[in-house]
Amino acid sequence: MYKKQAVKDYGREISIFYVRAVVALVIVVALLLVLLFRQFKLQILNYEAYQTQSENNRIRIRPVAPIRGLIFDRNGILLAENRSIFALEITPEIVGKKNMDDTLTRLSRLLDIDDKQLSDFKEQIKFRSKYKSYPIKSKLTEEQVAIFSVNRHLYPGVTVEARLERYYPHGEDVVHAIGRMSAINKADIEKMEQEAEATQDFSELKNYAATNKMGKLGLEKYYEEILHGFVGQEKVETDVRGRVVKVLERQDPIAGQNLHLHLDYALQKRANQLLKEAGARGAVVAVNPLNGGVLALVSQPSYDPNLFTGGISQANYSALINSEERPLYNRAVQGTYPPASTIKPHLAWLGLQQGVIDERTRIADPGWFSLPNNKHRYRDWKPWGHGATMRVIDSIIESCDTFFYDLSVRLGINRINEGMQQFGFGQKTGLDMVEEKQGIMPSRSWKKDNRNEPWYMGDTVNIGIGQGFWTATPLQLANSSAVFANDGIRFDLQLVKEFQNEDRKTSNTPVMSAEQIVTGDGTWLDTVKEAMRLSTLPPLGTAKTAFDGANFSAAGKTGTAQVKSIAQDETYDEENIEDKFKDNALFIGYAPYENPQIAIAVVMENAGGGGGNAAPIARQLMEFYLQNNDLLPKAIAVSEPSAKQPQASLD
Amino acid sequence: MLKSFNQNAVSNTHKAKSSILWRLHLDAPLLLGLILLMMFGLLVIYSAGGESIDLIKRQVVRLGFGMAVMLVIAQIPPRILKMWAPVLYVGAIGFLLAVLLFGESSKGAQRWINIGIRFQPSEMMKIAMPMMVAWYFAEKALPPSFKHLIVGLTLVLVPTIMIMMQPDLGTSLLIASSGFFIIFFAGIRWRYLLSAAIAGVVMVPIMWFFVMHEYQKGRVLTFLNPERDPLGAGYHIIQSQIAIGSGGASGKGWLKGTQSQLEFLPERHTDFIFAVLGEEFGLIGVAVLLALYLFIIVRGLQISLQAQDTFSRLLGAAITLTFFVYLFVNIGMVSGLLPVVGLPLPLVSYGGTSMVTLLAGFGILMSIKTHRRLHSR
Repeated sequence: MYKKQAVKDYGREISIFYVRAVVALVIVVALLLVLLFRQFKLQILNYEAYQTQSENNRIRIRPVAPIRGLIFDRNGILLAENRSIFALEITPEIVGKKNMDDTLTRLSRLLDIDDKQLSDFKEQIKFRSKYKSYPIKSKLTEEQVAIFSVNRHLYPGVTVEARLERYYPHGEDVVHAIGRMSAINKADIEKMEQEAEATQDFSELKNYAATNKMGKLGLEKYYEEILHGFVGQEKVETDVRGRVVKVLERQDPIAGQNLHLHLDYALQKRANQLLKEAGARGAVVAVNPLNGGVLALVSQPSYDPNLFTGGISQANYSALINSEERPLYNRAVQGTYPPASTIKPHLAWLGLQQGVIDERTRIADPGWFSLPNNKHRYRDWKPWGHGATMRVIDSIIESCDTFFYDLSVRLGINRINEGMQQFGFGQKTGLDMVEEKQGIMPSRSWKKDNRNEPWYMGDTVNIGIGQGFWTATPLQLANSSAVFANDGIRFDLQLVKEFQNEDRKTSNTPVMSAEQIVTGDGTWLDTVKEAMRLSTLPPLGTAKTAFDGANFSAAGKTGTAQVKSIAQDETYDEENIEDKFKDNALFIGYAPYENPQIAIAVVMENAGGGGGNAAPIARQLMEFYLQNNDLLPKAIAVSEPSAKQPQASLD
Repeated sequence: MLKSFNQNAVSNTHKAKSSILWRLHLDAPLLLGLILLMMFGLLVIYSAGGESIDLIKRQVVRLGFGMAVMLVIAQIPPRILKMWAPVLYVGAIGFLLAVLLFGESSKGAQRWINIGIRFQPSEMMKIAMPMMVAWYFAEKALPPSFKHLIVGLTLVLVPTIMIMMQPDLGTSLLIASSGFFIIFFAGIRWRYLLSAAIAGVVMVPIMWFFVMHEYQKGRVLTFLNPERDPLGAGYHIIQSQIAIGSGGASGKGWLKGTQSQLEFLPERHTDFIFAVLGEEFGLIGVAVLLALYLFIIVRGLQISLQAQDTFSRLLGAAITLTFFVYLFVNIGMVSGLLPVVGLPLPLVSYGGTSMVTLLAGFGILMSIKTHRRLHSR
């Protein structure tokens, strides 16, 4: 490679470089002197001017928090609003590091602030700008405001501010459906910072400059961006202590969008009430089978989300967190329960569709089932059996376990796993909540991965009655019953129907996705639906008592899930069993049978049998909803003009 | 002046030869300058970031990573760097093309691509461009003929225009200048340089009407008249000047600056950090900062002057002067001499991928310095 350099003149090259380096250095030094002179001009020549400007520079730009979007139910009932409150706020910079502890101690004596509120406040100021004010106690009473006003001169840097704060007028009834808010914490800020660094987009951080709280759960979290809105700013003149004297200019914030839900608050309230009256922990989910909109999403016991909004007190917090009833736990969304007999219709459909049975297939039920070459007896809930000629339709109506033990073995776990996924088991329902659990629709590979064991035939037998490894959320159960109501179409579940701007002029609707699962011959589905209808009727239906005298037609299936396994030689004795080992009661169903408007799932922990406990609640809710929305078939409907078709009053 | 430095350095080399730094291929004076600068930076970030330890931790991690990159590059002899220059350049062009075709965009600018990790090919070009142009002129007779000059200019302009299209004016400015510095040191005739300067003046209206984006024009207009946008960028310019000016000769003291911390702005500890420094440390602090920068630049030029081949010489000088462009544009912008261009104060501002690229550049300088063969051999 050195040959090419024959024409290169190294001496000349180096001397040119030397000259240029000197020229470059001279220019660099000259420009550095320009910079230095510029600072000299600013800092020495114009020092007094800037110094005075700085002293008098009480003109600040401060961010103005946007108003958070409201949440309404389907009928316009307000579920989440913003209330004007008085908050005690502290600006750390003005208080000063040295005086902070002393100020806090005196304040907490003056205004009854507890340790949790103190530590939450300290946590918050650690990582946010010390030039902003942060609430230490919200919702001051008028008396407290008066007490503080008198003593204000003793607390520089502490102010009482009028703020808007989230308020849930029906908190306990809806918290599990719409979620809650609380103070922005370190993790939230870090997450935003990391995102901002990764994308070099700081607009979100800026957008939260004036915001102290954010959605932490449920819809409040999922739709945080939509609800929050966009920060505004104002140019203000302040006095020496930082108090605003005058607003000079203002760029208004843009309020967050309102959420309009599919949720029916009346139904939601009724469901809460019924579960409470029954004294049960549990969940109710009701959906509109025609579009996947969630009409009710209830988990009991519940709690008041308003406790969290303004900073929860120590006593309230430990009461909630330590309660054995676990009120913070959202059973409808996160609870995964063995579905028990409620999934017999689904398995029956799969058996018919796969051709392993037909409508005429009969089996004999001696009260137990066993696998070939195995002595273990899988017992029917009826110790003496359902008789010798059980068809699929009878087995659904009477909930015959033996028939489904046999059917599950005929189908095999692979086909069951695939078939049940079509009903949405083992996957999220698409609900607009990040907390949703997906339950377990077991398969061979699932067991290998999670239990490190092969799949046994006995596992399949248990799956036949919705026990064993199979777990499902109340959401999944409700949606699976909507599939029958809707002749095989499964929608993603959705709580929010519409977003709406403040001026109510523009709105948009989230897209609902639907999946058709039943193809080909519809008679299989009809057979199963007929059986579900007869389950609610005499003479043999497991839910006949619950639906006795109903003035509408319904279809459904009961379920009773064992929580404790019963040994071969034991019997389940409801009277003498510990409460926490009592059976879970379940029911899924829809109504009206001919023209379904509501599909529902009820799960009650340790309540006993599904027919006796869960089905009556489902029936009352169906009745309540149909009546309230004028959807009951009327006896006098013939004489009325058809102005009030049931369809017309639906959305 | 340079000559005396030269002699000192040679004797230093002999002394330092057995030291650990020498074996690590690090240049002690340059390393000292960089570390002092970074420590000064951390001090100011701590104040500007509202005394957040987390911020400092993250910055230290980033600096550590940058230093590691520098250390690795310092181990690679210049002739290997030279060998890889064309590959790196062509690769960077390929990535830039990919960004333009299917890059990720944010805030209307398309600067990233995702290949497992998100990365910004324009950063790669900051190193690849001077390497490539130096590679090209290294084998040519210098000063370059007109033909070679045209080829060199093309090598500079193609990536510059691609980055302008993203659009990223600040980075394209840096990359273009690193290329032009090579051409300058290769010995472009003064009369060409003069014509280029005249052409540049003519280009201004063309840039204004056909190339610059609305937001860039807005920045220039705001620079000329800060009151035009008193709630936005103009406010920054006004406020940062008040902050610097009110610092006076000796400053208000560390953590005691009030002006620079009045409102919530992410740029406070990033692009506008110089205002915090000026307010809290005064003219003395500014002079110390500028002296540190000058020290690093002099050392960089000195290393280049002692370099033993054309490639190293050109590359070293271009890297050093590009570093100067960074600091000049940033300080000029914050103190109101230049319009707002989004460039950090090198090695002082918080964060930014550019930090790693800068240190990679210093790695090359270290390599040039420490891979010398002594003439006596």
